[in-house]
Amino acid sequence: MTRSATAGVAREPAAGRRPRAVRRRAGAALEPWLYLAPALTVLMVVLLVPLGFGIAYSLRHFTAFGSRYVGLDQYRRMLSDPILGQALLNTLWWTGASVVLQFGFGLGLALLLNHNFAGRRLVQAVVFLPWAVPSFLAGLTWAWLFNPVIGPIPHWLTAIGLQKTPTDILAEPGIALWGPIIANVWFGIPFFAITLLAALKAIPAELYEAAAVDGAGVVQRFARLTLPFLAPTIAITVMLRTIWIATFADLIFVMTGGGPAGATETVATYVYVTAFSTLDKGYASAVSVLLLALLILYAVGLIRMRRRLLAMA
Amino acid sequence: MRRGLIATALAGLGALAGLAGLAAAPAWADTTVKVVEVITSPPRTALLKQQFAAFEKANPGITVQLVSLPWAEAFEKFLNMVQAGDTPDVVEMPERWLGLYGANDQLEDLGPYMKTWPDAKDLGARAIELGSAVNGKMYEIPYGYYVRGLFWNTQLFKQAGLSGPPATLADFVADAKKISALPGKYGYCLRGGAGAFTSVQIFMNTMDGAGYFHKDGTSTFGDPGAIAGLQLLLDVYKNGYAPKDSVNWAYNEIVAGFYSGTCAMLDQDPDALLGIKDKMPADAFAVAPMPVGPSGKAFTALGYGGWAMFANSKVKDAAWKLIAFLTSPVENLQWAKFVGTLPIYKSAANDPYFATNKYKGWFAELNDSAKYQLVVVPSYLEGFGNFFDNIAPRTYEAALLGQKTAKATADGWAEYLTQQNKDYLAKHGGK
Amino acid sequence: MVVGRSSASRALGTAMLYAAVLGYVVFALFPLFWTLKISVTPTRLLYGHGIPLWPAITTLGNYVKVLAESDFPHYFLNSVIVSVSTGLVVTAIASSAGYALSRFRFRGKGAVAFALLLTQTFPLVMVIPPIYRIFGALHLTDSLRGLIVIYTAFNIPFATFLMQSFFDGVPRDLEEAAMVDGCTRLQALRRVVLPLTLPGMGATIGFVFTAAWSELLFALMLINDDSAKTFAVGLLDFIGKFAVDWGEMMAASVLGLVPACLFFALLQRYLVAGLTAGAVKG
Repeated sequence: MTRSATAGVAREPAAGRRPRAVRRRAGAALEPWLYLAPALTVLMVVLLVPLGFGIAYSLRHFTAFGSRYVGLDQYRRMLSDPILGQALLNTLWWTGASVVLQFGFGLGLALLLNHNFAGRRLVQAVVFLPWAVPSFLAGLTWAWLFNPVIGPIPHWLTAIGLQKTPTDILAEPGIALWGPIIANVWFGIPFFAITLLAALKAIPAELYEAAAVDGAGVVQRFARLTLPFLAPTIAITVMLRTIWIATFADLIFVMTGGGPAGATETVATYVYVTAFSTLDKGYASAVSVLLLALLILYAVGLIRMRRRLLAMA
Repeated sequence: MRRGLIATALAGLGALAGLAGLAAAPAWADTTVKVVEVITSPPRTALLKQQFAAFEKANPGITVQLVSLPWAEAFEKFLNMVQAGDTPDVVEMPERWLGLYGANDQLEDLGPYMKTWPDAKDLGARAIELGSAVNGKMYEIPYGYYVRGLFWNTQLFKQAGLSGPPATLADFVADAKKISALPGKYGYCLRGGAGAFTSVQIFMNTMDGAGYFHKDGTSTFGDPGAIAGLQLLLDVYKNGYAPKDSVNWAYNEIVAGFYSGTCAMLDQDPDALLGIKDKMPADAFAVAPMPVGPSGKAFTALGYGGWAMFANSKVKDAAWKLIAFLTSPVENLQWAKFVGTLPIYKSAANDPYFATNKYKGWFAELNDSAKYQLVVVPSYLEGFGNFFDNIAPRTYEAALLGQKTAKATADGWAEYLTQQNKDYLAKHGGK
Repeated sequence: MVVGRSSASRALGTAMLYAAVLGYVVFALFPLFWTLKISVTPTRLLYGHGIPLWPAITTLGNYVKVLAESDFPHYFLNSVIVSVSTGLVVTAIASSAGYALSRFRFRGKGAVAFALLLTQTFPLVMVIPPIYRIFGALHLTDSLRGLIVIYTAFNIPFATFLMQSFFDGVPRDLEEAAMVDGCTRLQALRRVVLPLTLPGMGATIGFVFTAAWSELLFALMLINDDSAKTFAVGLLDFIGKFAVDWGEMMAASVLGLVPACLFFALLQRYLVAGLTAGAVKG
């Protein structure tokens, strides 16, 4: 008797074999869970249970060595926290600009690499390198590059007239956030380039040739042929990367520490600062829960939108 | 020769103590003392390990286990460890952490141990005063002092036509203005980023002629003099006497600004010397005492680090032996020279190393207590860490950038500190 | 695709292509080049006048110090152990999970996907205290094993997504044919499907290795013992209170980047190739 119970293949239970068939179907229902078990166990124990604890912390007020239950007070406190308001705005800017730029340039790179040219293999290996660099090291190096005492960028900016004298953009509240954004874009282009390139390669060449024969121009081919094929990949990568960036504090923390005067403070850096400066883990957890809720809403919204688009197509 | 005599005497005392210990207490038999250092740097760790080796040799049976935390994340990491119950026996305790751990009964009172400690007599009064800053209990034995002095670039001063370092704050501003007139140069290495408040407090206190608190326990930062001190710094930044980027500058940037010759004046502790002296020729800079304010006095900041014992240590006697060893005069002198602090023993001032023109400024401050008031940060206030690391930088940067007025900023600080002090006095029945 | 274009416009197109490619290459390499430059600059020239693209005097002294006089070789080894182990363990677990998500339709599939997503949506600093407590109880703090466990958990969601993609690219008919021939599903998996997804697994290992190699926060918080430190934490050691040893830090960084970059460069080909097949199935 085989143990195979393929979920997709229906087998007619022969007369008198009903118990076995039921067992088989029960076994069939169980099968995917067996494959999923290791992953789910690890995630449960290592991440989801601590997450539960973390959420529980948000209902307490912590001092360095003690805590007391305060119900929803921490959440009420968030409503009147001006720094949090600024941090939310900064997070929007940080995430939005990073994703749009990374995606745009990543797509451009993918399109380029989709052509065959001399040295493509080498170029491909080289341009994907930034993703292999530890983020805090990337932050340090870029901070160095932006510093007029030791880095070239302010001098170049002055030379082309974007700055009057070489100054550190990380020190100017209006544009400080662009420093980490640029570093983040440098870091994240490979992610989009790799996934979009893979999706591009999957588009059959005959489709392009047929479209060209039909007289479609480059732009039309891109809009009508390439984009729809890329849409599912775009949806997933954008969603994932947005979520990662929104919770990403390392780069900003290393480059500006959230300053000057909170101009680069995002929710993620604020959580870190709150946890370790004010020592109130409870409030830090509450802010984290807020971020979590916002990101879940975003993900759900994106998935729904994608389903609707697919249904229409 | 004198050192040799002291060493021999100590060795003799140590031998006697050891014998007495052997007679009175059980043998050490494999005790491990766990030590955490926090102001870590690779050369310093090497020195510590050397000292531990010497200690282990003199105390067979005791092993010392060292955990070195990278300074950049030391506070967060150590707090994490302690909160999870992973406490060491001995820890290096910067003064700013003392309030947090001391006030929460995490540390052992070392007073009783000091009663039988022969070196205690030679300790300066400052050491005892500072170590017992929290609740009057000696929670740490300081290993050295960080006193703010004024580093000044002799070459830039000469270029600007100035004969010497500023004696008063008014001179300070005037000198900064003259030096900033030189192309590409600035008068003051302003620190706007992390850790800025120590400098800010110096200017505010000096202009106000007072320390942190009035006699009635309210903060002095709301006083007109203090506000004028803050305004002085804001004006220095606004008028371009400090580089535009300095609003973000933390320790490494201001020191780099000084030794690269970008800015001519820097207020810092002796440990900055270590970073500067091999990057600048010896005749290019010197250290002067901090300029005085309208009252004729200067209020310079005093910081310290030391060794503390955790109250839940299971090897308290061995831990104390280690602390006593590390803070003994011989070891302490070596330590101070290496680490860049001013040593804690009264006898150390006679050492030739500390008689150069680099240290003259600091010793002048230490010795002339009429002119130079040494202000210690009120680290016994539980919320002081939050103030120093979080509230002050944020609001100070806002003020530098012109988003807030000096008065509003200073009043905000005064309000916070007064409240903190009130809470502390209420809890501890007024000190 | 270039049907009907004149040779002039084709030449222009090619020139623009190469210009764009050059732009990307320069952008990607410049910061790495700068790191390299600092690593060979002697300390006294670091804050000198002017900002040259290459120092007047170069020195390998920083590399010597890092390799011979510091604990870095040991930290590297630790990082290699942790990263390779994490890569292997994650790939195994994620293959299993990805296979399930690719092949089976079952109730609760949405919930599983949601759970995987949920683990990505909060700042990790939030769970450090509970994890420290749990791991302390399990004696997993201060050990490389603990790090491997944590990194495994972080990387499972994305690795699962990757492996699901790769499995989507292998037609079901293959293993169903094998099962009709008498194999169990597991046997079919081992004999037929896995060999086809080996490139994908290689790519996943590469991706996870890179992520584990770069991780700092948990390596910092969970490990106190010097002998278990990883490369990223070791870099922090160079940031002292007195001064930052930039030259040595950058030398150590360059040395640390080499394995990560090599690994990733070798395997990114498989990542693209593997994902390609999967993307067809959408």
